[in-house]
Amino acid sequence: MSTPETAIPSSQAMATITAAARIMYPHDALPDDVYARVTERLAEAARADSGAARTVQDGVAALNVGQPFAELSGDEQLEVLKGIEGSEFFELVRSTAVVEVYSDQRTWRLVGYEGPSFDKGGYLNRGFNDLDWLPDPEAAS
Amino acid sequence: MSLQPDGRRAVNLFAADDSDVIVVIGSGAGGGTLASELTRNGVKVVLLEAGRHYQPEDFINDEWASLNQLAWLDERTTSGSWRIAREFPGLPAWTCKAVGGTTVHWAGCCPRFKDWEFRIRSEHGPIDGASLLDWPIGLTDLEPYYDKAEYRMGVTRTNGIPAPAANNNFKVMGNGALRSGYKDVSTGRMAFNTVPRDGRPATIQDGFNYQGDKQRAHWSTLTAEIPRAGKTGRLDLRPESMAIRIEHDKSGTVTGVVYVDAEGNERHQRARAVCVACNAIETARLLLNSASPLFPDGLANSSGQVGRNYMRHVTGAVFATFDKPVRMYRGETMAGIVTDESRNDPGRGFAGGYYLELHSLGPSFLANFLMPRAWGRDFAAIMEQYDHMAGMFLVGEDLPRESNRVTLSRGARDQFGQPVPNVHVDEHPNDTAMREHGYVAGESVYHAVDATATFRVPPYPASHNLGTARMSARPQDGVVNEFGRAHDIPNLFVSDGSVMTTGAAANPTLTIVALALRQAGHIEQQMKAGAL
Repeated sequence: MSTPETAIPSSQAMATITAAARIMYPHDALPDDVYARVTERLAEAARADSGAARTVQDGVAALNVGQPFAELSGDEQLEVLKGIEGSEFFELVRSTAVVEVYSDQRTWRLVGYEGPSFDKGGYLNRGFNDLDWLPDPEAAS
Repeated sequence: MSLQPDGRRAVNLFAADDSDVIVVIGSGAGGGTLASELTRNGVKVVLLEAGRHYQPEDFINDEWASLNQLAWLDERTTSGSWRIAREFPGLPAWTCKAVGGTTVHWAGCCPRFKDWEFRIRSEHGPIDGASLLDWPIGLTDLEPYYDKAEYRMGVTRTNGIPAPAANNNFKVMGNGALRSGYKDVSTGRMAFNTVPRDGRPATIQDGFNYQGDKQRAHWSTLTAEIPRAGKTGRLDLRPESMAIRIEHDKSGTVTGVVYVDAEGNERHQRARAVCVACNAIETARLLLNSASPLFPDGLANSSGQVGRNYMRHVTGAVFATFDKPVRMYRGETMAGIVTDESRNDPGRGFAGGYYLELHSLGPSFLANFLMPRAWGRDFAAIMEQYDHMAGMFLVGEDLPRESNRVTLSRGARDQFGQPVPNVHVDEHPNDTAMREHGYVAGESVYHAVDATATFRVPPYPASHNLGTARMSARPQDGVVNEFGRAHDIPNLFVSDGSVMTTGAAANPTLTIVALALRQAGHIEQQMKAGAL
């Protein structure tokens, strides 16, 4: 039986979690590296907490009974994930993925978010009021 | 506070057995302001703060990293039928654990309470399932202190301070509001500098209001009041000092505070008077955890009201997408307000009023809060419209209920061995009706400027936490009197939003500051009279 320490970095675990994270928050333009952040974070969680390690280990195993999860089509992966929605493993992956995916600067660029501006002098001279399809409401009132 | 070269504390300014100091617990809007005003007028203050002493340059412009730096994340539990107990069960409130308290992460919105909001019980009569009570004071009692608070905080549109500029997000909300018939639409009264003032610069519109203000344009006790107090030579600020018990003598007079310092050592500080300003959840918890044979139900709790009547405002948010870009994240987060719905008009189907306020989140928070637990391709497609999105916050009066309360957990204990607080809330139907009205209003505003879709966002963990040690004219109805002085104990004060008898619609910080200034005057007068 594998120990929790060896469970997460296994290539199957990495491929499974990365694929699941992409199905949960699918942005086709994003590279797999963004979704692999979820695997890294869960590996840290598993190292820190044996309960989390067991949840991940069992969850990955359950997704890989029969054909490996990462080798399924996207539609098939989606169906499999719908089948475990609400489970402890699903919620652990989802809650980690929603933080990791949307905290990544590649995602920020994709959705048009420029992020911190303090070091650039803020948005004062960089478009904080450059919306031009509506007038200044106070001037209008 | 002086630090030794290795960063550890030097000798405290005041001795542990100094019988002359007033101990203020908590350095946020209430405690930090109180300490500032008392020290300015010659009083020696020991200011205990559970959190660390960060400086603005330490703040992190990344939502989750910042939350982990600044938020109060000590263990808490929740119960009741409110959504928070399901969606964020360990995080009922989003407040700060740092020098400056929750003023470190606020947007600066400063409406005053309205006259009728101090006496909503009289306005409406009793409402089933609500523990409504009139405040023992009215607007006229507080007006001089609102004036002082606005001057001190540099609130825009007061004292000749210029209005904030309209940012992109406000252009959307403001035009939508005017087109849907609202009249009082503006960039608001805000406690951030639009011109340099009080040694702090004008805003550079760098956003991140909820993550600490790196440039110090926002008023906070961290950057304004505590430095002011420090210059008097009478402030002994002790960060990383978690108060765990308030002690008293046989006569029931408070004598000092037991706290745990940064090294984990239990310390005692003697006190002439103690002022509790730990934010509503921790204030109630500290009073309850200070139970003794003389006060078996907790300090100042002969009424049984400590911890009860917990309020958090009716909140919610509305976001909308548009064909053209908005870029709501650029600029000051909350510089926009529609006040028309803050009137008292039971014809709408609920008591009390609410505001529509400007609001934005970065992608990382938005993804968590827009539709809690949502996932899949439809959700991801919405997130890809982030730069075409506008947002607003709804904040209105919620009704106090005796059963909405902070209690001590029977089992769970924190890192100091103290019982953790449990927060129980069952929302009053009036609150639900108000939020529903607000959602419809917000959607109408955005549809008036051709939104392609709108989104109703449920309440976040609360940043406005009120009512757990409420003011009352009669001792049996509440915990403190009109000055925040405990009915039961003459030298014990509550100095934060816990004292609010009812919560009004307004964001509470300005009123907490005004009440602290009023309380400081009372304490000084009591000291001069020899009563403290």
